[in-house]
Amino acid sequence: MSSNDMLSAESLQRDERKASEDRARRADSLRRVLQNLGVFVPFVVVLVAGIAIAPNFLSPSNITNMLVNASILAIVGFGMTVVIAVRGIDLSVGSAQALTCCLVAASVNGFGPLGGIAVGLIAGAVLGLINGLVTTKLRVPGFITTLSTMSVYRGAALIFTAGAPIIIDSVGFKGIATTSVAGIPLPFLLALLVGLAFWFVLERMRSGRYVIAVGSNPEGAIDSGIDTQRVILGAYVFSGVCAGLAGVVLASQLGVINASVSNGLELRAIAIVVLGGTSMAGGRARVVGTAIAALLLSMINSGLNLLNVISAYQYVALGVLLVLALGIDSGQRAAVRRMLEGRGTEQ
Amino acid sequence: MNTQETPKSAELKPDPHQAGRSQAEEWKQLLARNFLVVILVALCVTMGFLQPVFLSGGNISNILFQAAFVGLAGCGMTILIAGGMIDLSESGVVAIAAIAIAMVLPSTTIGGALVTALILGAGLGLINGLLVAYVKIAPFIATLGSLYLFLGLAFISTGQKVVPIVSTNYRMFTTGSIGPLPVPFLVFVLCAIITGFILHHTYFGRAVRALGSNEVAASLAGLPVRRVKLLAFVFAGLTYALSAVFMSGRLSSAEGNMATGFEMSVIAAVVVGGTALRGGNGTVVGTAVGALLFAVINNSMNLLGIASYWQYVVTGVVLVLAIALGSARSGGSRIRGEG
Repeated sequence: MSSNDMLSAESLQRDERKASEDRARRADSLRRVLQNLGVFVPFVVVLVAGIAIAPNFLSPSNITNMLVNASILAIVGFGMTVVIAVRGIDLSVGSAQALTCCLVAASVNGFGPLGGIAVGLIAGAVLGLINGLVTTKLRVPGFITTLSTMSVYRGAALIFTAGAPIIIDSVGFKGIATTSVAGIPLPFLLALLVGLAFWFVLERMRSGRYVIAVGSNPEGAIDSGIDTQRVILGAYVFSGVCAGLAGVVLASQLGVINASVSNGLELRAIAIVVLGGTSMAGGRARVVGTAIAALLLSMINSGLNLLNVISAYQYVALGVLLVLALGIDSGQRAAVRRMLEGRGTEQ
Repeated sequence: MNTQETPKSAELKPDPHQAGRSQAEEWKQLLARNFLVVILVALCVTMGFLQPVFLSGGNISNILFQAAFVGLAGCGMTILIAGGMIDLSESGVVAIAAIAIAMVLPSTTIGGALVTALILGAGLGLINGLLVAYVKIAPFIATLGSLYLFLGLAFISTGQKVVPIVSTNYRMFTTGSIGPLPVPFLVFVLCAIITGFILHHTYFGRAVRALGSNEVAASLAGLPVRRVKLLAFVFAGLTYALSAVFMSGRLSSAEGNMATGFEMSVIAAVVVGGTALRGGNGTVVGTAVGALLFAVINNSMNLLGIASYWQYVVTGVVLVLAIALGSARSGGSRIRGEG
């Protein structure tokens, strides 16, 4: 009698476990579908619309142009991906990039192209380090730190240039953005390289796992002995280096640097990261998604330019895209939670 | 400096009277609590010595104007931050409201223009509120998105041009003075009193503070969390529109980027004023002092001939320092919702 009871209890338990496993699997696949939907559907729609409406959308020069712009944005996006994955945010990328661009331009004129590149990377790292140190050591929330440094770095760029544009003389340096290797633009190869390295670190190395651990459960990460503050600091430094590297390419592309360059970049970077499926809740970083979303954004801008739409509409398109991406992100979280709790329809 | 000297010298004197001692203690506490006012007064006195122009009537009314713009928007921001939220879209709301005023003024009365601006402000606030409360996007990122949305709309509606305000009556109304005090400043004082009353003496204000100190608890206690968030953003939108009314009058024009970077000044004034970023409580008086402080700092830098670019740097550094100080004082363990 009693053994029979135990048996049925056990089988009940087994059934329950199986059901919950099933729910988890379905929730996971739903999450994946929603994530991919968020970036692939707009990507295909914009691609088709661009080919159909915009003249010269697929001309070689426009493709190169789109790839270069997407690469510059994607490099910044990779840095933002890791910051968002550890539940932070970096609003200062635009200003940091403007400041590095100005420093790069001045040092290319002073010490030559290699000096300029080195200065760009170092400046980016230092600016990221400042963000990281203020956030971790002074315990200021990340978005306030970077909101403040957004203003500080922009001010520093304006002070450095005294409001006047800097013209880069070196032809060799300007070649970075225009050179192609086997028909593929150099910036695109650079972005590919950074993306691959970033993906490898994230998926295959310990520090990458730490990033995911800190983002998905900070208390748990502390309890398992991870130095979370160091991981967060590293994320901000990485974001700064990415902004600096992209700044080098941008400086080479523009040739004439204003302190007001890269205004609003933070929004574009956040938009591509969230569109790409990296969750604002932290703990999930999707490198490929970020790269595809960067391409999507660059296609939208290029299409609107080819159609002679005034640039203000790009603001609106960006705002709508961001809100859409965030809506999908929060909707997906709610849907997955409902499914995990086994309440598919109610509430 | 002044904060430390006064109580110290009082302590050093061996005072036999118990009453005198406790009075010194009281002074010390009073100063510690109002150290911002002390800094403000010290700054004003120093500037008065360095540049006597600083204390002239014209310059003081200048400062009061500047403080009123930031302070008016700061009233709404104080409520939002007290509720654990934040808004980065002010400059967009201000631009749209000001452009609307400039566009309707030729065909309507001043009253009509004011109502238009306020309705628009409330409407844009409603959009923010819906995104935060119903689509459930984190406030700072939802409003970052809507900032660009609003700015884009502002640029489109003006064709990226400056819209002049020709009505002299409107300019006189918005830049006039009653006695020595500018009208915007008086409106700001009124708005601050109303905001303080709302925050501390109404059901809505209590709900906002409850939400700010612990959203889950507030929701479990049956507070209408979504409606409170929505209302807070609508109220904030109204105060931005008020700010736009006076700013457009002062500039006698309106354009898309008339208020670029305004959100930084407003958040800085509120947070430096003593409203903790973690939410749960807010002080409108502090916001007023913070707004005055930044107006005085910017004005002093202008008078001393420092390049205006430095204002970006100073605002950012003061904001970070104020928050770092606050989190150091509260031990850090109580800070939540970072990132």
